[in-house]
Amino acid sequence: MRTKKLVSILVLALIIAFAYFSYTTALSNFTLSDKNNSYLGGIKFHRAAAGLEDGFQIAQQENKPVMVYFWAIWCQYCARFQTDTLGNPEVKNILENDYVLVAMDLDIDREVAQQYGVSYPPYLVFMDPKGNVLQRVPGAVGPDYLLPIVTQVREQVRGK
Amino acid sequence: MIPLGDILLYATLVLSVIALIGLLLKDFKNIEYLTKLVTPAIIIGAGLLISAFILLTYYFVTGNYAYDYVWQYSSRDLPVIYKISGTWAGQPGTYLLWVLVIYLSAAWLAWTTKHSTALSRRTQIITLLSGIYLVILTLIQTPFKLILDRPDVIDMIAKGQLAADFLPADGNGLNALLVNFWMIVHPPLMFIGYATMTIPFAAAIVYLVTKADGWEELGRQWARFTWLFLGMGIAVGGVWAYLVLGWGGFWAWDPVETASFIPWLTLTGFLHAAALHRKDKSTFSIAAPILAAVSFILVLYAAIVVRSGLFNSVHAFGDTSTGTLLIIFIAIIAIVSIVLGMRRYLEEPDKVEEDRGFWNKTNIFYVSLLLFVVLAFISFWGITFPAFIQLTQGLKVGVASDTKNFFNLWSYPFTIILLLALGFCLNYNEKNKEEQKKTLFIVIGLTIVTMFLRTENFYVLDHSSPFWVREPAIYKLIGNISVVSLFPSMIYAAWSTIQRLLDYLRIKSIRPRIKGIGIAIVHFGMILILFGAVISANFTQSIEGGSIPLASKGEIVSLGQGGYAAKIINFSTGSLAESAPAAGIRISEINNNPADYVNNDVKVTGKIVDFINVPTPPTNTTYIKIDDGTGNLWIATQADQPLNIQNGIEITANGLMVANFKSNTTGTTYDLIIFTTPDAITQAAPSGNYNVQSVQLEIYNGNNMIGSGTAQYLDSKTGSGTFPMVHSSITGTDVYVIFQGLSGGSVPLTLKIIPGVNFAWVGIIFFAIGIILIMAVRSKS
Repeated sequence: MRTKKLVSILVLALIIAFAYFSYTTALSNFTLSDKNNSYLGGIKFHRAAAGLEDGFQIAQQENKPVMVYFWAIWCQYCARFQTDTLGNPEVKNILENDYVLVAMDLDIDREVAQQYGVSYPPYLVFMDPKGNVLQRVPGAVGPDYLLPIVTQVREQVRGK
Repeated sequence: MIPLGDILLYATLVLSVIALIGLLLKDFKNIEYLTKLVTPAIIIGAGLLISAFILLTYYFVTGNYAYDYVWQYSSRDLPVIYKISGTWAGQPGTYLLWVLVIYLSAAWLAWTTKHSTALSRRTQIITLLSGIYLVILTLIQTPFKLILDRPDVIDMIAKGQLAADFLPADGNGLNALLVNFWMIVHPPLMFIGYATMTIPFAAAIVYLVTKADGWEELGRQWARFTWLFLGMGIAVGGVWAYLVLGWGGFWAWDPVETASFIPWLTLTGFLHAAALHRKDKSTFSIAAPILAAVSFILVLYAAIVVRSGLFNSVHAFGDTSTGTLLIIFIAIIAIVSIVLGMRRYLEEPDKVEEDRGFWNKTNIFYVSLLLFVVLAFISFWGITFPAFIQLTQGLKVGVASDTKNFFNLWSYPFTIILLLALGFCLNYNEKNKEEQKKTLFIVIGLTIVTMFLRTENFYVLDHSSPFWVREPAIYKLIGNISVVSLFPSMIYAAWSTIQRLLDYLRIKSIRPRIKGIGIAIVHFGMILILFGAVISANFTQSIEGGSIPLASKGEIVSLGQGGYAAKIINFSTGSLAESAPAAGIRISEINNNPADYVNNDVKVTGKIVDFINVPTPPTNTTYIKIDDGTGNLWIATQADQPLNIQNGIEITANGLMVANFKSNTTGTTYDLIIFTTPDAITQAAPSGNYNVQSVQLEIYNGNNMIGSGTAQYLDSKTGSGTFPMVHSSITGTDVYVIFQGLSGGSVPLTLKIIPGVNFAWVGIIFFAIGIILIMAVRSKS
């Protein structure tokens, strides 16, 4: 009986320590709430449904295409997609200079996601300034795949 | 007017209350006034729920869109089987399925025991209370809600935008991800598992209150059943993720699959506790019932996670309004269980027993129970605290730089200890204890040594990940452990299991032999699943971002580095529905009555079956032959460049129809032909709700073909789904290709070479066979 009690107390202490540690580590190391609008890829996005409206306005003024990035906190593929694909220097350069970027959190902006038929992250929707969908890129694709699309959509919008 | 389905639910509620009162009167006052009514009331109640479920299915099959739920999750062009599976596509339907199964188990309990013992009556009381609570939940979020009761519809009728007797012509449609075989099976398995958890829970609570004997037999048999269904539900969910979602693996620590995994773990703990508790009533007399209660609480928790917005995941297809009620339910049960457990603990006499030292079977079993609880807690905590932080502080946090890291990292050491305990326990023999301890210590030693092995990249955390350098210190520490260290304990556990199997095979009497074989098979299955998971997760090779132009059909095109290449054999588009209405006029209609159409504008839709590009300077002329299934027709168009088209693509064209046109360039005379401009030819507008693009592929490594098959992409207004090509080979390495839908005339492909998955599938089959063997042998109580 005593060994059992001892082991139980030990395990309980271990569990509490683990819970506390992982909780504080998450708060200090893995915060995803980005008050600075910077996602893991280090790219600045307009955000939320209001951001989409703003995005189209800016896009019309500057004649730039709009890229909407649908992501989610729990999406493990997004993290890598953000650093490797969106964060790829060539892709990032084009996106930051020639695009109006909007990020939609699938948890929050559900209606927008439904409107564009997006059911899982990561998912990119490319649009012209008027909101016509030009391209869809579902899934965590690599930079080699995304780069030609990013270029092509840009030329398509510039050409109009 | 109340819909018929709701009336059935209300009637069930009334009958349950009668049965409940009858049981309570009998039990507390010994009044037999209503006793005779109890069994029939419960059985009729179950019958009514069956009728309600059949009624709902009937509405789905006949497409009765007067009901909001049917409208939301079905549409006319769905094949019948998916109309049926739409019944359990959303929360209201799954609630109904859940209560149905609870009442079926209650009816079974009533039928087999006739409520002759106090234990059966009291278990039934708790079961009915849970059942009634869930019937009320079902009524609050009823699947029989009329579409006219939707707030937005009421609003639109008030504004005059809709007629007062509005009835939608077609449904909203089923989410594309749900349109496949595995999703027909997955939810029923899951919810049968959830529902059958009720009886072990009820029996455990009765035991905690009354110390009733015999609860563990009742609870155990049902718990095995639950364990099987929950386990298979989780497994089928994994198959779905692998074959349909294109995850490239079967387990990704998605919040919902994790949520279902947690009660499965504690239930595993319960089954182990109950095994010893049955032999000696004083062993695990608190641990066993508490584990049963905890498993039930975690099942309810999983139900919240599945459908609530907080834990958004692939499963979040609908919002919940009954989440709060479930939370209240959980709180009540948790408090009751804790209070009862504490009471029992304080009442328990301090046993004075001889000190058998640490190394005895009960203690090692106890360690295993704690390990199941620890593993369950890790999973529970990993999905819970981010939601908690979000709720309380409005902050979003990840559990680790990559979600799966958290679970893999923390579970890893405990999984090893569990394997060690498994190896020790299965081979436990009082006489040879010292020798077995020696073996165990050798394995522990090997495990510790192998932890420090340096390999290219076979560690708990992926060193090649961009996050690796930024991991917190303790994550780096555990992440640095070589996964090779899993194998000593795994081999030890497998060896013990086989030893035990051989022992069991030698047993003369048939029942213990079958049961023993079952036990060995289940454990072996688990080891295989773990092996498959570790191998596939660590050695998958992924070649992303490959893209093959449709124009190079039939040629081998290289995919990225690594010497892999692919060849498109065929590409086609289609619709799930067999008779989707096509845009324009049927070709047979034109061919039969040409006079009506010649020299008029005509619009047709069909698949390209043939085409000829001829240079006609300064432009190119393209002749396209299309077929819509009723006949074929030629279309001609001119453009600066040859048109980039492919056979098999469905197009819609609009233009002037001309008769008896003789082409000078091709030398052919066309009886009927449509002249059109490239702009007037479009890839056919989605003709149904579900459009399928299929690409038939061959995959090469160097010059060897390593796999072939078809990858599909399903697109609908309710979302899209990828159906990867999976080519399994006997060596256990899958060639896995994800096709993400035609894009700019090219076929984008992601190729994965995944080893070891077959071990997991075999393990799952072992698991099912093993537990069924154990269930088949009812041990004497």
